[in-house]
Amino acid sequence: MKTAPMLSSAFLHPAGQTLPEPLLALRRERAGRLVDMPLPTRKTENWKYSSRHLKLADDMAISLPVGGKTGHSLAVPGYKVVFVNGVMIPEASEFPDFDGLSIRSFNDLPEEDAGKLADRLGSTLDPKQVQFAHLNGARFEDGLLIQLKPGAVLDQPLFVIHETVGDASGSAYPRVFVDAGANSQMTLVEEYISDGDAPVLVDTVTEFNLADGANLTSIRLNMEGENVQHIGATGVVQQRNSRFESHCVGFGGPLRRHDLQVRLEGEGAETKLNGVVVTQGKQHYDNHTSIDHVAAHCNSEETYRNIAADESHAVFNGRIHIHQDAQQSNADMNNKNLLLSSKAEIDTKPELEIYADDVKCAHGATIGQLDRIALFYLVSRGIGRRQANVLLTMAFINELVEQIPVEAVRETAQTRLNEFFEQTFIEEN
Amino acid sequence: MATTDTEVKELIKREYEHGFVTEIEADTFEPGLNEDVIRRLSKVKQEPEFMLEWRLKAYRRWLEMDDPTWAHVDYPEIDYNAISYYSAPKKQEDMPQSLDEVDPELLRTYEKLGIPLHEREKLAGVAVDAVFDSVSVATTFKEQLAEAGVIFCPISEAVQKYPELVEKYLGSVVPAGDNFFAALNSAVFSDGSFVYIPKGVRCPLELSTYFRINAANTGQFERTLIVADEGSYVSYLEGCTAPMRDENQLHAAVVELVALGDAQIKYSTVQNWYPGDEHGKGGIYNFVTKRGACLGKNSKISWTQVETGSAVTWKYPSCILKGENSVGEFYSVALTHNYQQADTGTKMIHLGKNTRSTIISKGISAGRSSNAYRGLVKFQPGAEGARNYTQCDSLLIGDRCGAHTFPYIESKNKSAIVEHEATTSKVSDEQMFLCRQRGIDPEQAVSMIVNGFCKEVFKELPMEFAVEAGKLLEVSLEGSVG
Repeated sequence: MKTAPMLSSAFLHPAGQTLPEPLLALRRERAGRLVDMPLPTRKTENWKYSSRHLKLADDMAISLPVGGKTGHSLAVPGYKVVFVNGVMIPEASEFPDFDGLSIRSFNDLPEEDAGKLADRLGSTLDPKQVQFAHLNGARFEDGLLIQLKPGAVLDQPLFVIHETVGDASGSAYPRVFVDAGANSQMTLVEEYISDGDAPVLVDTVTEFNLADGANLTSIRLNMEGENVQHIGATGVVQQRNSRFESHCVGFGGPLRRHDLQVRLEGEGAETKLNGVVVTQGKQHYDNHTSIDHVAAHCNSEETYRNIAADESHAVFNGRIHIHQDAQQSNADMNNKNLLLSSKAEIDTKPELEIYADDVKCAHGATIGQLDRIALFYLVSRGIGRRQANVLLTMAFINELVEQIPVEAVRETAQTRLNEFFEQTFIEEN
Repeated sequence: MATTDTEVKELIKREYEHGFVTEIEADTFEPGLNEDVIRRLSKVKQEPEFMLEWRLKAYRRWLEMDDPTWAHVDYPEIDYNAISYYSAPKKQEDMPQSLDEVDPELLRTYEKLGIPLHEREKLAGVAVDAVFDSVSVATTFKEQLAEAGVIFCPISEAVQKYPELVEKYLGSVVPAGDNFFAALNSAVFSDGSFVYIPKGVRCPLELSTYFRINAANTGQFERTLIVADEGSYVSYLEGCTAPMRDENQLHAAVVELVALGDAQIKYSTVQNWYPGDEHGKGGIYNFVTKRGACLGKNSKISWTQVETGSAVTWKYPSCILKGENSVGEFYSVALTHNYQQADTGTKMIHLGKNTRSTIISKGISAGRSSNAYRGLVKFQPGAEGARNYTQCDSLLIGDRCGAHTFPYIESKNKSAIVEHEATTSKVSDEQMFLCRQRGIDPEQAVSMIVNGFCKEVFKELPMEFAVEAGKLLEVSLEGSVG
């Protein structure tokens, strides 16, 4: 029996000690859990397709320097909070001036609030499924606590820019915790970008708590560079009649992994998850989602689309779990994939686990290439073959991109997608 | 001197023969598994050297393996050293002497299934007279097969009579070290069927284990090997709708199918082992590895299964589609009731060009049972133009049961197309209301609805089997409503 490789102990030592004591204590406790953490292998079910892309060198254990330069100054239409290497940069941020919303850095929290937060950090995630969220818990140097008061409605989207500056090897651990009060409303955009070209690890955790009737839209845009291995987890817990909407747009990298876990704990809660992934070159992207219908009368709807070109690899794993008392649940999951090259690979696993009988659940998954007949139709009308390919591929994902409710994000995504098409479809004569 | 020598030799031989015979007739190996047990087993079965080597190799692989834990089933750990790996066929006097000695519950089920009286005796393991109806049936049946050149015999006989065929194909589809239970089976398999259909022959009859006289006691580690040579066709039926009396709790069978160019194999199973009582006590563990290889061009393998029995089922009849244009099919109805657990599905591995596969799986869970579909559809880079369609539907009866779907889909070829659909629903109140309103009682209504749900699979079964399967569902579902 071969022994599984272990997480190097170099990863267990955080650099900064500026956090309030309760959070430092939490960090120590999480580090304790990670001693002897086996690294995922091909035999680890939830890392089956991705473990070989995970390459953690010891020099990546070093925390990336705090307070570095911001390489990009993003003009965003709305409020923004900028994090560099997992630490907030207030000078670069534009906070909303709005009573209903409190935005604080973990480092600025008074001891009492930090204690309350420490009790809840990680509570939205299934600890068995997300080992790397524990690593984040052991290593985070800062974080963002967003609290929306009951009934508060934020007029514009809040952008949280997570920039990783990798001039030298290292790792960053961005963390966001959102508490949305009853009947509150907001849109949160998380953008992950990077600068530099040394190999780095970005290990993120974002948590959303939706009180009764809260309405939250989350947009996650992953555009980091080829030097970044990104492992992220998002946990969502929804109470009665709350509504959560998620739009994830991801561009590949050496390793991109996102775990999205939603728990519908209150009756009448509703969730909608959309995801778009495109990969090219030798990139890899792995999306794992799970929706737990814990309470009755909840609805969930999930649509993910992947496009894999060149020698890239895209993975989708969607799980719907209907608990025993979740009668009258509706769940619908759909995953469509486009394989553009015979050297690329797509793996998908839409799972259902159902313990209640009065439910309507369906899932569908397809993998294929562009419809030849549709291509022929376009070409026969004088559209170039390349253009026809681009049109059809665009149509395949635009359905989801168009649903993103923030125009600026849509445009950024479109620009990046156009670049992808430029590179993928070469002019044929 | 010479005469004395011969006499002495004869004497030695006689004694040896005697000892040997006793070993077969009376011996049941004491529980436990080690290399000596395998050597003894192989010797008792008079197997050629290559078989013993093969068994030992499998055993050594098995020792390095762990019990699989990934399936969605839960059962107490099995002590493999508490099992006896060989028991001689039962003597007449040990069997129940008449139907009066048989569990009345079993008899009631036979009644409901409408099984003819003389068959009931055989199924219940009653010692029956050697002059038995089916013997003559079996004889004519054998003649007909011999005429066509079809080989159909117990695998232990085949090992001796056709060692070259067995050596060539045994383990070629399910290698000895394939998985934990397959390795165990390879090391200790007791008996099973061997079928060889020569080139261009269409097997004149549907082959069924029921007709094979020796099938009565194949033991708990059954091994089946079916080879269909170029251009041949065979339909094979396994199992029986009637519950069989069985004392072994663990069943780890292996079935291997080999289809050469243009050959077709249709393999149908009805499995109705003892599922345990309504409190989940007892019942058979059915851990089966079934796999077919479409090696030649245009070959086809079709699996149809109706699984209603066993306390725990762990079974994935699969197809390796290697030959160009080869076709794999999987039609399954899996019904679980009370505390039964099933984790079943299929694997379709597309290697060749234009290979096609269809998966239709219907899972029905009632009571407190758990029923999972687990499947893999894989397109390798060479699977140009390959196609798969998968549909797995689950039906829930009662609010304490579980229905799960775990489909793995992997594609490495851009021209391959795969579609997967799954739905889960319950027998709706509207459907029930409609039936009740027309004077159909609830139990019958559920049975009608379930039969409709399974129709797509039943139509793939040989005709008389399909009728029985419908009846079987009805009996199995008894007590699930009201």
